[in-house]
Amino acid sequence: MIKPKRYLAIAFCLSVLCFGIVQDASAIDVNASYDLSTLPDMSDFDPNLPLKPDGDTIKIAIISSFTGPGAVTGEAFYLYTSWAAHDINKRGGILVDGKKKKIELIKADNQSRPDVTKKITERMILKEKVDILWGTQMSHLTQIVSQLATRYKKIHVNATSVSDSLMEGKNYSKYSFMTSYSTQQIGRAAAYYYGQIRKKETKFYILCQDYVFGRSIADAFKEGLKEYYPEAELVGEDYHQVFLTDFAPYLTKVKASGAEVIFTGDWMPDAFNLLKQSRQMGIMLPFANIFINDPISLEELGIENGEGLVLISPAGTGNPIFKNQGFINYYKAWNNQWKTKFTPPYNTIRYSHIFGNPAMYAYSIYWTASVIERAKTLDPEKIISVWEGDSYQYPNGKTVSMRACDHKAVTDLHAIEFVKPEDQKQCFNIPPYYIYNTSAAGGPVFEIPSEKILPKADPQLCK
Amino acid sequence: MDKKTRWMFWIAGIIIFAIFPKLAGIYYSNIVVSMSVWALFAVSLNMLLGFTGLLSFGHAMYFGTGAYGAALALTHVNGLSFFSAMAAGCLCSVVLSLIVAPVVVRVSGTAFAMIHLAFAQCMFVLALKFRNITGGEDGIGGFSVSHIRIPGLFSLDVTDPAVFFYLSIGTVILNLLVLWFVIQTPFGQVMAGTRDNVKRIEYLGFRVSHTKAVVYVLAAGSAGVAGAVSAMHQNLVAVNDAYGMMVSVLPIMIVMVGGARSFFGPIYGAVFFGFLEEYVTAYTDKFELILGLILIIFIMYWPLGLAGIFLKLKFKWLTRKQFLKRSGGGAG
Repeated sequence: MIKPKRYLAIAFCLSVLCFGIVQDASAIDVNASYDLSTLPDMSDFDPNLPLKPDGDTIKIAIISSFTGPGAVTGEAFYLYTSWAAHDINKRGGILVDGKKKKIELIKADNQSRPDVTKKITERMILKEKVDILWGTQMSHLTQIVSQLATRYKKIHVNATSVSDSLMEGKNYSKYSFMTSYSTQQIGRAAAYYYGQIRKKETKFYILCQDYVFGRSIADAFKEGLKEYYPEAELVGEDYHQVFLTDFAPYLTKVKASGAEVIFTGDWMPDAFNLLKQSRQMGIMLPFANIFINDPISLEELGIENGEGLVLISPAGTGNPIFKNQGFINYYKAWNNQWKTKFTPPYNTIRYSHIFGNPAMYAYSIYWTASVIERAKTLDPEKIISVWEGDSYQYPNGKTVSMRACDHKAVTDLHAIEFVKPEDQKQCFNIPPYYIYNTSAAGGPVFEIPSEKILPKADPQLCK
Repeated sequence: MDKKTRWMFWIAGIIIFAIFPKLAGIYYSNIVVSMSVWALFAVSLNMLLGFTGLLSFGHAMYFGTGAYGAALALTHVNGLSFFSAMAAGCLCSVVLSLIVAPVVVRVSGTAFAMIHLAFAQCMFVLALKFRNITGGEDGIGGFSVSHIRIPGLFSLDVTDPAVFFYLSIGTVILNLLVLWFVIQTPFGQVMAGTRDNVKRIEYLGFRVSHTKAVVYVLAAGSAGVAGAVSAMHQNLVAVNDAYGMMVSVLPIMIVMVGGARSFFGPIYGAVFFGFLEEYVTAYTDKFELILGLILIIFIMYWPLGLAGIFLKLKFKWLTRKQFLKRSGGGAG
């Protein structure tokens, strides 16, 4: 027989639980969210053989590098956005101008070159008659897409370039929407994590790519250190060419500086080459980063070389990853396809999961589709009015809002510490209880509230 | 070609030029602008390679300097027009060539090629490192070109693609005409002589180094004009597209495919490459592979390039015409 004290204890626990649920529900105050309750059958999804939607479609140009050193980025962009498009199409499409329209993605290879970016974007607008421009990698290329979006009055979804300056001053375009995090948020989030949460290391070395993104992420980190970690010491700062293959001169300086943490914004392939060469040179320092999470590269280095990395992520929701059955089903639909249907180049471990940073590309398509659906039209002006100030909840439960004055997304970020497979259970809470069994990956996750790291606001735009 | 046909040819050309933006639309007009930029750049290189016998592996340094010159002028000087920016770009390239010329005209052959490779790489690194001026890897972008105005008469908005088409094509044609007239003058004969027999030219009393210097500055200025037009067309100058290795290599390929011994060869080459890129990239991303294969084929089987092929076809056609004339006309 259960004693009254136990009844009380159970009642207390239940009330706490209910309060938590109510609290959680009220916290999610969003205009729209991804519907996890009616996940369609995704078993016919094949990124190598995408189903071409019939009839009148909503055309989205995926502008990225699909050739050269940046091709791996384009590959990921296309895979995840295709998944989202397939999902939306399987649900019947989007009701636009009184008609259900499906989403058609068109690859636009910019070869990481400005002249080609301009040409291919114009080809997409003028020849392919796309409705939405999506992309691209590298800030100066994104700027070209943004300028063309303004010229031809097309909505531009920037889910990939994170430089704050893209949405400031003369670069600002009312047609562009930055759906991911920004350099200001990332840099300050890393500083916040080390100064307000971790409070251990004090000597930092900045090593970033030498272009607007690398420079502005480094500036943000320095600002963040002043704000949240004044006792920290910046022992060095360097900027290298993009797609560099020999980091030895920089790493030698790092070694001599006595740094305890290397802060980098490098993306692939630079991010991995930098890490790899540092380990080869015996530099075992942790990297505070945003793109060193590629499992293939980390697997090559071995588990011990990936432990201690700190990833600032825009996609996190705190531990554990799976908080409800709906998202488990969503994840399993992807993972099953990956196991059974994906063919090269998509059948590698790199694409085994749909969470974390790459999933943001898919989520950006969901958000875009939701905005179009609520605008009920493809008229850019109406889409803009719906999107400004909008908030949306992604499949993993993360909420994000669009700041109306400068079209930058505002969201919480998370600092993720990389650990060995047996410690990944705290993050990956469903079988097999690890993210990757051959490399370090997410373990402890720390939330950095959005109000502490708001994206930089141009005073002329956000008065 | 008789006088009447020639006039008709010119009139047809002008009419096509006038109605092209309306007829073909913005997209194809932009492609033609790109082709014309590459044509001028390749012709400027061919002034050195085809007509003076000087192979440069670093001609991009003049294209890039022209592009950066125009972009910097437009960024820092308010109200600058298309022509002023173009002149600024051209001037920057000419000044650079005047600095470099005393060194490079004293060498030829491999040394000339390699010294340009070195200079171009220096410019690449300088543009990359002086990011306060050049924008580094990001380049310079978002500059605005002022309207061309004659108060009370007209105002041309250069951001209008059709207006830009007329201005850029017009500029390129004018520049090409200047180069064409240079080739036709006695100085053009000296250039060819420098290419074919340096000793004989010296013996005739011409100063080879001075001849080379004049051609060099002329080629650099034209490359600068091409760079400036390109910068205004793209509204961006980035280091890889200004001073990158491919920017030096591509005009050599265009010249080789078009035909180095003909003034019009590089123009054929630029048009050929433009169409090739447009249609090949729509089906495959292996454009460079196809480019390489085409270059191999041309070097192996058609060393005189497209210009040589056209000349051969023209010769065959004329021979057949003469034959038919002699045999009473008609096959029957």
